[in-house]
Amino acid sequence: MKTLKTFLFTTSTMSLLMGCVNLGHVTNFSKNSIEALQTYGNLSQSFTTICTQDCELKHISNFNVYKTDCECEGNVKADSITTAIYTATVEYLHGLMAVSDKTITKFQTAELTNALATGNYGPIKLNAEDVTSYSKLSSLILKAYSGIRSRKKIKAYVTEGHEPFQHLLHFLEFNLSQNLNGKLEVQKNGIQNFYFDLVQDTNLSSYERTKFAEDYFEKKATIEKYQNELRLFGDLINEVKEGHSLLLKNLDQLTEDEVKGSLGKTAQKLALGARIISQFN
Amino acid sequence: MANLTSEQVKELADNILKMTNDLGDFRYRNFSKLTPQENTRLKELHNNLLEHTTELYTKSAVLVLDDAVESLDKIKIITEKTQELYSNLDNIQTGINWATKILGMASAILSLNTESIAASIKSIIS
Repeated sequence: MKTLKTFLFTTSTMSLLMGCVNLGHVTNFSKNSIEALQTYGNLSQSFTTICTQDCELKHISNFNVYKTDCECEGNVKADSITTAIYTATVEYLHGLMAVSDKTITKFQTAELTNALATGNYGPIKLNAEDVTSYSKLSSLILKAYSGIRSRKKIKAYVTEGHEPFQHLLHFLEFNLSQNLNGKLEVQKNGIQNFYFDLVQDTNLSSYERTKFAEDYFEKKATIEKYQNELRLFGDLINEVKEGHSLLLKNLDQLTEDEVKGSLGKTAQKLALGARIISQFN
Repeated sequence: MANLTSEQVKELADNILKMTNDLGDFRYRNFSKLTPQENTRLKELHNNLLEHTTELYTKSAVLVLDDAVESLDKIKIITEKTQELYSNLDNIQTGINWATKILGMASAILSLNTESIAASIKSIIS
């Protein structure tokens, strides 16, 4: 019995030292987090699309189809920032997946690795704190790329990455669930303001007024669908945040069943949320 | 007045949106009593406020400024005052004047010129 215990102890210690511990649940959490965050690409609306739609409604209400340019530069910039933040968070999770999965021998570097390395983020301007988070995460991801064969890095990777990762996820959630959603709320009110007078106009036929009312409700429902989509995406971001906090808290007990179970549940929720968002369109 | 953070700009946008909605509700509720000129003016003001508000959400996403807790508190007072005003308003002209002042404040906020913001807030609160 003593020999068996010694054998088991030695085997598990050696596994830890050699990095052969089965961290499939961490890999799975990373994979599902990536899939969940990647639904960012499926979101129906962006700052720029809302700006263009608002601008078009303005032209329509002015009965104008001539010189219909829309000034949306600020919104293009807002989208650039949001995309840059999103990219950094997904890259970080790719790094986490790689350090937790011994079967990955080659890291799939994303297109923006170069941007992360050079600091060339396109037309974006971040405040000092965000830049710090961004560059901290970037160097960490790059370190993971280069030291990919070293599986013992997971503890350092998660500890070092936690704060900037959480900060960037917060910023991503803030821009989408708060600011982009706010723009949709404004758009909803703009549509009501536009249709109100048409529906009230007694010079129009009842049929025309009814049609305008129908158009209004249809457009309102579409905007609300987009808002639900953003809310769900925000929930997914928060799940990823919580999952990562759980990971950080239990770095010394990663192989325990309870931790495996909790991370597994988070991964399931993320997979479900990602499926729902993908089916929105 | 110190500068505004991104989260504070967003909070300002939320508050201005509430005021804008109140103006819209006021127009819809009193539509039958309004002259065509009054209705057009209120509709224009409503549209202008909506345009400013959506721009503020975009600014919040791209701009991050310093703290301005004092001004945020004042904006909250203005929001409450506006909601109260529109719920008990008999005089259309008072409504138009108030909405014009709020529009001035929203324009000042969009300019991110802290002195203009402070001046416009002062003119509303005093």
